[in-house]
Amino acid sequence: MTSIDMEQEKDTNLWGTIVSGVNALGFSPLGAALVIIAAFLPLVPPFNQEHMVRWLIMGAFLAAQAVAFDFTSGYINVVNFGFAAFLGVGAYTSAILANEMPFLIVQPGISPWIGIWAGALLAGLLGLGLGWLTLRLRGIFAAVMAWFVGIALMGLTRNLTPLTRGSMGLHPPTFLETTDNLPYYYIILVMMVVIYVVLRQVTRSRFGLAFKAIGQNIDAARASGINPTYYRVLNFALSCFFAGWLGGFYAHYYASLTPRSVMHTAKTTEVLAIAYIGGRGSMWGGMVIAFPFVFFIEYLRSNLTELPGLHMVIYGALMILLMIFYPSGLAGLYNSVAGKVKSMLAKE
Amino acid sequence: MQFETSLIHSLRRAVTTRLPATIVLLGTLVLSIVVGAAGGIAQVVNSIVTGGMWALMAVGLALVFGVMNVPQFAHGESFMVGAYVAYFVFNPIHKTLQDNPDAFLAFVAPLLAIIAAGVAGFILGLFLEKVLFYPLRLMSKAGEWVMNAFLLTVGISFILTNGTTLVLGANFRGVPRYWDAEPLTILGAPISVDRIMAFLIATGSIGALWFFLRRTRTGRAIRAVSQDEIGAQMMGINLNFIYPLTFGLATAMAALAGASLLFLFQAYPTVGLNPLYLAWYVVMMAGLGNVAGAIVGGFVVGILQTATQQFAGVVWADVIPTVVMIAVLLVVPSGIFGSEVKGISER
Amino acid sequence: MLELKNLDASYGFLQILWDVSLTVEDGEFIGLIGPNGAGKTTVMRTIAGLLTPMGGEVLFKSRRMNAVPAHRTTKMGISYISESLNLFVDMSVRENLLMGAYIVRDRDRQLETLEFVYQLFPRLKERERQLAGTMSGGERKMLAIARGMMSNPQLLLVDEPSLGLAPHLVADVFHSLQTLQEAGVTILLVEQRVNATLEITDRAYVLEQGRIVMEGPSSELMTNKHIKSAYLGI
Repeated sequence: MTSIDMEQEKDTNLWGTIVSGVNALGFSPLGAALVIIAAFLPLVPPFNQEHMVRWLIMGAFLAAQAVAFDFTSGYINVVNFGFAAFLGVGAYTSAILANEMPFLIVQPGISPWIGIWAGALLAGLLGLGLGWLTLRLRGIFAAVMAWFVGIALMGLTRNLTPLTRGSMGLHPPTFLETTDNLPYYYIILVMMVVIYVVLRQVTRSRFGLAFKAIGQNIDAARASGINPTYYRVLNFALSCFFAGWLGGFYAHYYASLTPRSVMHTAKTTEVLAIAYIGGRGSMWGGMVIAFPFVFFIEYLRSNLTELPGLHMVIYGALMILLMIFYPSGLAGLYNSVAGKVKSMLAKE
Repeated sequence: MQFETSLIHSLRRAVTTRLPATIVLLGTLVLSIVVGAAGGIAQVVNSIVTGGMWALMAVGLALVFGVMNVPQFAHGESFMVGAYVAYFVFNPIHKTLQDNPDAFLAFVAPLLAIIAAGVAGFILGLFLEKVLFYPLRLMSKAGEWVMNAFLLTVGISFILTNGTTLVLGANFRGVPRYWDAEPLTILGAPISVDRIMAFLIATGSIGALWFFLRRTRTGRAIRAVSQDEIGAQMMGINLNFIYPLTFGLATAMAALAGASLLFLFQAYPTVGLNPLYLAWYVVMMAGLGNVAGAIVGGFVVGILQTATQQFAGVVWADVIPTVVMIAVLLVVPSGIFGSEVKGISER
Repeated sequence: MLELKNLDASYGFLQILWDVSLTVEDGEFIGLIGPNGAGKTTVMRTIAGLLTPMGGEVLFKSRRMNAVPAHRTTKMGISYISESLNLFVDMSVRENLLMGAYIVRDRDRQLETLEFVYQLFPRLKERERQLAGTMSGGERKMLAIARGMMSNPQLLLVDEPSLGLAPHLVADVFHSLQTLQEAGVTILLVEQRVNATLEITDRAYVLEQGRIVMEGPSSELMTNKHIKSAYLGI
C-alpha cells in the first residue's frame, strides 16, 4: 500500500469512529450536527441577542420535556397527563430545599445543584407510586389518573402555604450569580442531551425490547415471561424522574414559581403537542421541533399582542391537522423522505 | 353502555351483584345526612342540584365513550359554549326587559337562552364529528383510534378555549340571576328559583335522554352500536348517522348544563375546566361508558364535593377526591357500577 | 340472485381471495366448504359489505355491490349471520330479535316475523327476557340465526353455525335452515362439517387457500375422491 492509501484509510477510520461513537450515544450524524449547531447558535448573530438566547433556552427546555414525555407516550403508549405536575414537584422541592428566607417554615439552604436531584428523586418516586397503582389498567385509566393526580398536586401545592407560599409563589435562588442567559442555555442544553442519551440507551436495552414487545402484542409478551406492569412502571417512573429534574432547572433559572405557572394541565398539553407533532415514539422529533416552534410562538406573541391566544389557536389547529392527516409527525416525514433518498442512492 | 331491561331490574341487579355499588350508595346516603346535620338542609339540596348538573355532563361523556370509544377532553368546552350562547341570548332580552317589563318574556327569556344553548351545542357536536372525527376515523389504524381521538379532543379544546379568548376576550360574562323571584323553601331551606330550574332542566334532559335511548328506534340503535358495532351494521344501522347524532346529543347536554348554571359559573373561556374534571371524575368512578352509572354517579359526586368542602381543611380539599378515586380504582377497577367499555385490564 | 365474478379480496397487504367466482340462484341452498383459513369468512364479509374487494365484482340481483356498505346490504335483502355472532350482549333475546328487524318499519310485520321465528326456535321464546350475554353457546347461535331472519332477507349468509355446538343442537340448526329454505329464503352456508353440509345443500363450492378448486351438485361432490379423502377422512 502506498502512503496515500494508508492516509485515506486512516481518514475513513477516523470518520467511521466518530460516526459509530455518535451512533452509540443515540444520534445519527445529522442529529449530532444539529446538536453542535444548537450549541454554537447563541454565539452568532442574530441569535446572540438576549431575547433570542432566552428563546433558545425555552426551546431547549421544551425539547427536553418532549423527550421525557415521548419516552412514556411513545414507548408504552400511556399519556402522562399530569406531566407538568411532576415537573412542578421537582421545581418546588428544589426551590424549598434551596430556601434560606424566613417566609417558609423551613430554610434548608441547600445548593440548587444538589436540590434538583432531590426534586428529581421525589418526582420519580411519585411516578413510581402512581404507576404502580394505575399502570396495570388500560392506558386511558393511567392517563386520566395521572391527570387527576396532577390536579391534586397543583391544589396541594397551592394550599400548603407555609411550605410553598401558595399562589403568591416562590422566588428561589438561581444556579449562578450572573444575570447573563448564556450559561443557563448550556446547562439546559446539556440536560437535554443527557436525558436524550440516557433514555435512548434504555430503549436500546432489554427494557426497550420489552417496551416494544408490550406495545405490539401484550399477550405474547406475557407469554414470553415479560411482566408488562413492571416495565411500564419503570418507564413511567424514569420519565417522571427527569420531569422533576427539569423542574429543578425551571426553578433556578426562571427563579419564579407559582403552582399554576408550572403545574397546570395546559403546560402538559404544550409538551404533548410538541411530542406528537415531532412524531410519537421517535424521541428526537419533539427535540427538533421544539426550537422552531418556540421561536414561532414567541415571535407571534411579541408581535401580535392585540390578538391574545392566537398562537395557541394555531398550536391547536396544527395538532388537529397533523393528527388527522399526518399522525406520524415530523419523524414520520423524515423517515419516509430519508427512505426515498436512500433507495434513490442505492439505485445508482 | 349498561341498560338492562328496566330501571328497577337494573337497580336490583346492581344491589345484589355489585357490593361496592351498594356500599357507595349507602355511604352517600349517610354522607348526605351528615352534611345536612352539620351544614343544614340547604347544603344537601344544593348538592343535589349541582349533582344533577354533573350527572348531565357525565352522561354525555359516558355516551361518547361508550358508543364511539372517544375519551372526550373537550367536553368542558361544550359547557363553555352553552354558557356563552345563553349569555348572548339572555343579556339583550334582559336589557330590553328593564325598559319594557313584560312578565311573560321575563319568564320565558332564560328558557329561550338555555334551549338556544342546547341547540347550539347539538350543532357544534354534529359539526365536530362530521368535520374532524369522521376523517380521523378513516385515517386511523385499528389500535390507534382511542389515542388519536383523545389527542384530537385535546386539540379541539385548545382551539375552543383560546379561540374564545381571541374573539370574545377573557373577561367574565354572567348574569346575577335568571328569574327575578323569591327563593322557594324546600324542606326548610331557601333555594333560589334558578337552582330549582337548573335541577329540573337537568333531570328533565336526563329523563328525555333515557326515554329516547330505551324506547325509540334510533335510541335503541345507539345502544346497539355501543354494544357491538359490527352487529349494529349488520342490522342495517348506519354508523355515519349514529356517530354524529350521539356526539351532538352529548355536546348538547353539556351546553345545557353550562347554560343552566350561567347564574352560578358565568361565562369565560376556561369555565369548562372544572366541569370537565368533575364529569371525568364521575365517569371514572361510575364506570367508563356506563350511562346509567353516570347519572347516579353525578349525584354521588355532588354530595362528595360538598362534604369535602365542608369537612376537609382547605389544604386537603383537592387531594381527597383523588385519594377517594384511587381507592375506588384499586378495589373496583371497572368502576362502581361496572364498565361496558372494551376491556379494562391492559390489552 | 348472487354472483361473484373473479373476486380478489385482501386485508391490507395480505391477499386472501384469488379470482373467486360463484353463483347462487333464487331459492338455492349453496354450501361453501373448505379448510380453516381458506377465506370462507372473507367471502361472506365481502358479500355482506363489511369488506371492499380489491378486484372483481359482487353482483346481487344484477346490481354491483362492491362498494355498498354493510348497513345498506342489509336493507337490500342480504342478512349476514357471522361466525362471532355479534349479539348485543346487554340486550334481551326479544330486544336482540327486534333489533334484527331494525329495517322493517312496520311494527305488525316485525311482530309477525317474531312469531315465525319463535315457532322455529321455541327455546328462544322461553328465554325471551334473558340477556343475550348470559345464554349458552348453543342458545346464542340460535339467537343469531333467528335475529338474522328478522329482517325478512332474501339471501341469508350463514357462517359456521355448527361451530362449538353439541351434535343434537347442530341437527336443530341445520333443520331450521332447511325450513327457511322451504319458506323461500336463498341460503349460502359456510361450514366445516362437510358431510352434513353436502347432505342438505343443493350445490357446493370448495374453497382452498383463497381459490375455488371444485364445484358441483352436492350429491356428486359427496362421492368425489378428493373430497372424500381430504374432508371426509375416507
